[in-house]
Amino acid sequence: MDCKTAAELVPLYFDGELDRATSREVEAHLDTCADCQAALIELDALRRALRHDVPRFSAPDTLRRRVAESATVAMPPSSDRRGSSRRRTWLALAASWVLAFTAGGFTLGMWNQVASSGHAESQLDRDLFASHWRALAAASPIDVVSTDQHTVKPWFAGKVATAPVVRDFAAQGYALMGGRVDYVGNERVPVLVYRHGKHLIDVFVLPGPVTHEGHEAVQMQGYSLENANLGGQKAIIVSDMDRDELLHFRDLLNSVT
Amino acid sequence: MMATGNRAVVDDLALRHLDAAYNLGRWLLGNEQDAADAVHDAYLRAARACDTYAGGNARAWWLAIVRNCCLARLALRNKEKANVAIDDNPVAAERLMPHDESGGVEDQVDGAIRRRQMAMHLDRLPAMFREVLILREIEELSYREIADVLEAPIGTVMSRLARGRALLQKALTDDGTVEAPHGL
Ligand SMILES: [Zn+2]
Repeated sequence: MDCKTAAELVPLYFDGELDRATSREVEAHLDTCADCQAALIELDALRRALRHDVPRFSAPDTLRRRVAESATVAMPPSSDRRGSSRRRTWLALAASWVLAFTAGGFTLGMWNQVASSGHAESQLDRDLFASHWRALAAASPIDVVSTDQHTVKPWFAGKVATAPVVRDFAAQGYALMGGRVDYVGNERVPVLVYRHGKHLIDVFVLPGPVTHEGHEAVQMQGYSLENANLGGQKAIIVSDMDRDELLHFRDLLNSVT
Repeated sequence: MMATGNRAVVDDLALRHLDAAYNLGRWLLGNEQDAADAVHDAYLRAARACDTYAGGNARAWWLAIVRNCCLARLALRNKEKANVAIDDNPVAAERLMPHDESGGVEDQVDGAIRRRQMAMHLDRLPAMFREVLILREIEELSYREIADVLEAPIGTVMSRLARGRALLQKALTDDGTVEAPHGL
């Protein structure tokens, strides 16, 4: 596929409007073309900015009542109102795909490697790595910039189902930088961002209680995933820290009650 | 999927997608009261028209009615003003875009400012581009669904989406709200 054709198809690829075969051709071109890669990344950055920063106005209760009063059906819960999960999944895939070449030196080969790893939770791992890399590649990996745990925690209220426990570990060398809300699969989850030396650390706080079977640590291209228990919630750490530093940080998180 | 004359299905549809309808109305009309009134109009119209629903994507059908009610309100509001209607040609619409008078913006833009700027830039886009961005990026409609809402060909959807993205991207880059991500 030549660049001119590919450039026209990149937005369609990004929007999930291409058939499988054409998508593959676009991917093959993206593999080799920095311009088209940049275009794809730009689309992703714009979408993220729109989703994160633009208010989505919910129908006021007065309107919902006005309509419901003349309606013949019961009011549905307002939670199941977002788009189809098929597209959401696709977007997550596209995003991880984009990231494979944004964060210094990652190659598409790596994406394929993750995709074909066959790991039971590889989709989750992929989402988490993708989210971390995307954050690194974005203008700012943090939505609320604060080293104050008392600012970060309330910021999550209303944005995610359960606001996480937020602790600063600056004294132990792991300073709280802030937080953001990110997608893992179809779920909006809180992400706590810490810094250790030059390493950025993402802590994804997953909904639901800690399960004991939790998957093993996963490593990829110098980045690691590690499980933790943050005040009773399952948390997953993603960072490029050394193994020992990562485990030390995990122990700090685990000690939070 | 929707039996003709099935009022309950229309009611369910409207309530299920009330937030999407209101969000679209809010971004097209710019204020809460007009948006709520337009959506309520749309609901009444949809309930009356449930017999004439001809099949196809129900959500798009509902949002098309919402959009038409919004446009009717816009037309009414703009009767005295010489504003460009939503379906006028894009070149003319772009010329009406106000320019950012804020000039140099600090390097460090915090979240609140960034959100305000995003909303401002989206608000300043000509409505025809704003609506496709809302439908695609926020409401996650497919090209086909957007085409149904706009009652326009998919080619029109694609070109407006491309143009809208480019305009918004440019506005954001110009004042540093969004940095080029590949600069890292
Ligand atoms: Zn190219």
